[in-house]
Amino acid sequence: MRLDLTILAPHLGFLAEGALLTAQVCALALIGSVVLGMLVAIARTSQRKWLNRLAFAYVDLFRNVPFIVQLFFFYYGLPEIGIYIDAFTTGVVALSISGGAYASDAIRAGILAIDDGIIEAAEVSGLSQGTTFTRIVLPIALRTSIRPLGSVLINMILTSSILSTITLNELTGNAKIVASDTFRPFEVYVVLLVVYASLTYLVSLGITLLHRWLNRDMQEQVN
Amino acid sequence: MRYTEFTPFDLWLLAQGLGVTVGLFLVTSLIGVAIGVLWGVVRFYRVPVLMQVITFVAEVLKNSPVLVQLFLVFFGFPAFFKLNMTPVNAAIITLSLNTAAFVYVIAVSSIESIGRDQVEAARVFGLSRWQVLRHVIAPQAMAFSIGPLTALLVNQLQVTSLISVIGVMDLSKIGANLNLRTLKPFIVWTAVGILYYLAAKLVATLGAKLEKRLRAHSAFRGL
Amino acid sequence: MLKVENVKKAFGGTIVLDGVNLTVNPGEVVSILGSSGSGKSTLIRCINGLEKLNAGRITVDDFDVSKPKELAEARKRSGTVFQLFNLYPHMSALQNITLAPIEVLKRPKAEAEAEGRALLASVGLGDRADAYPAQLSGGQRQRVGICRALAMQPRYLLLDEVTSALDPEMTSEVLDILAKLAKSGTTMVFVTHEIEFARQISNRIVFLEKGVLLVDLPTAEFFSAEGGLAQPRVAQFLSKMRKD
Ligand SMILES: Nc1ncnc2c1ncn2[C@@H]1O[C@H](COP(=O)(O)OP(=O)(O)O)[C@@H](O)[C@H]1O
Ligand SMILES: [Mg+2]
Repeated sequence: MRLDLTILAPHLGFLAEGALLTAQVCALALIGSVVLGMLVAIARTSQRKWLNRLAFAYVDLFRNVPFIVQLFFFYYGLPEIGIYIDAFTTGVVALSISGGAYASDAIRAGILAIDDGIIEAAEVSGLSQGTTFTRIVLPIALRTSIRPLGSVLINMILTSSILSTITLNELTGNAKIVASDTFRPFEVYVVLLVVYASLTYLVSLGITLLHRWLNRDMQEQVN
Repeated sequence: MRYTEFTPFDLWLLAQGLGVTVGLFLVTSLIGVAIGVLWGVVRFYRVPVLMQVITFVAEVLKNSPVLVQLFLVFFGFPAFFKLNMTPVNAAIITLSLNTAAFVYVIAVSSIESIGRDQVEAARVFGLSRWQVLRHVIAPQAMAFSIGPLTALLVNQLQVTSLISVIGVMDLSKIGANLNLRTLKPFIVWTAVGILYYLAAKLVATLGAKLEKRLRAHSAFRGL
Repeated sequence: MLKVENVKKAFGGTIVLDGVNLTVNPGEVVSILGSSGSGKSTLIRCINGLEKLNAGRITVDDFDVSKPKELAEARKRSGTVFQLFNLYPHMSALQNITLAPIEVLKRPKAEAEAEGRALLASVGLGDRADAYPAQLSGGQRQRVGICRALAMQPRYLLLDEVTSALDPEMTSEVLDILAKLAKSGTTMVFVTHEIEFARQISNRIVFLEKGVLLVDLPTAEFFSAEGGLAQPRVAQFLSKMRKD
């Protein structure tokens, strides 16, 4: 019963490869879920009732069904209807769709928090609804929702470990292989826990900086 | 297993899986809430060292994938501590502790939500720290925390699906087996998804009802 | 000509404008006085199309604000300055000013910016073009708000209590600019509580009371004993405002 972490040394490169894949999946899925979240947030704040309902149904559904069920639905289901995509793509798609449900809530809150007066100023100056949305509503909403979007990303990093169940060799997937090769699962998984916790901690630091930087002009300045 | 069509018996299997999911969810939620609250109390009393250890453990549990935590307990613990670990025990340990970490955060913020002046006033009246906790803080903190607690439990219900990966015969595992046997992924995962969805809605509804009751109760006592 | 004809507006059951008639000719400065809640803001919001009328008609140079097809034209002819500035917080002063000229009037960016800078210079903010609203004082923000409205070269400038959110020093900063605008012949519909100032710059003063236009008189007459002051409500209002 001695904790010997040196046995991991030969496998660090392999684990780093997995970490890189995790980073790639999450980066792509982050883009996917913010884009999707934006569209759904627009739908949820739109006047059209059916669009509203549809958007709500999507958010409600994907927030209340476990990710692993969603993942298997896509992974085993898509080939059934003739769509053959690899585990990597499936993972990005599934993470985007599930992350999009959370991202849309964050962005929607950002949209709803915008002062009506600002929208009215745009309206009376003759800006079209489309321009008002792209030039005013969205930029403000994205700035204010950076923090909650950061939580979506952190959640996504943790959730991406589940992609190891569809044979994707991201960080957790590779760790599993190392654990069974070395017969030292305890060491491997303890290190893995710490790695994930540090990773998400760094990301949250990054989010704080990004938030500060993006809102630097919108902060009151004492002069 | 040979590929075969669905049989009426599959419904019974799904029901059994749902039973395992709900049962483990209830057990781990109870244990998790108890431990989390206990940790909160430790923090309330500012027990040195123990308090720091708890905060650290909670941070790691919150910021690492549950799947990795499961692997550590199920594969790592037996290897390192030379003990026996059944999938169900590993599931109970992991899910309980994971829930506890989040409950701890809710407990701390609920206790902090109660103004210091109230606590100090009660202390001035000669109540002991325990009496303050029991009669001043606990009732209010309970009403305050039931909302976040409900949201947490809805989430934790979904997290239970991960125990299928270490072989617990929960709803997801039954789904995986049916999927392998029938090769009808859309039907299987849709059915499994619907069951999870309904269970999540049930938890949310019960939580909302309880919150309404507690709030009415504490408002009445506030008079 | 800006014409308000027999306009009625209610929110739910409460009638806020009850048959208002008002004509503003090019070159005129018309001040609207009235106690709070009398419907002044609502009238302005009807003119710029932010509220729908229940009855009556508002035309801006013959463009009817109630007709969706004419609203855009009507809006191009009026510019609004808001009590709480309503600047776009994520854009610099200059960007606030040039957005609509570039997007709506399709002005070339360089031209719009040159004009925006000139406007800012004319209100004493020549060196603050790149500052963001949060980095400006209230008075500076409102001056940017005025520039934003002027950048669209409106025929009519609508101002709704544009100094109410400002302290006295900043108020005079803004009023100085409005006085200059009035002198240069800018047509203005000016909702205000600054009675003395209204008296100096207005051609006409109207008094709104519970959604009804009680008095509509040339400035001198409005303040004369046989004119506006003959109305007990106006006399009451003025003496109360002077006391405050
Ligand atoms: N959007 C609205 N919904 C309901 N009532 C409103 C709304 N806007 C204004 N009112 C009411 O209309 C009346 C006139 O308001 P307003 O035009 O803002 O007055 P003023 O600008 O003269 O102070 C007030 O009683 C106000 O409460
Ligand atoms: Mg008003």
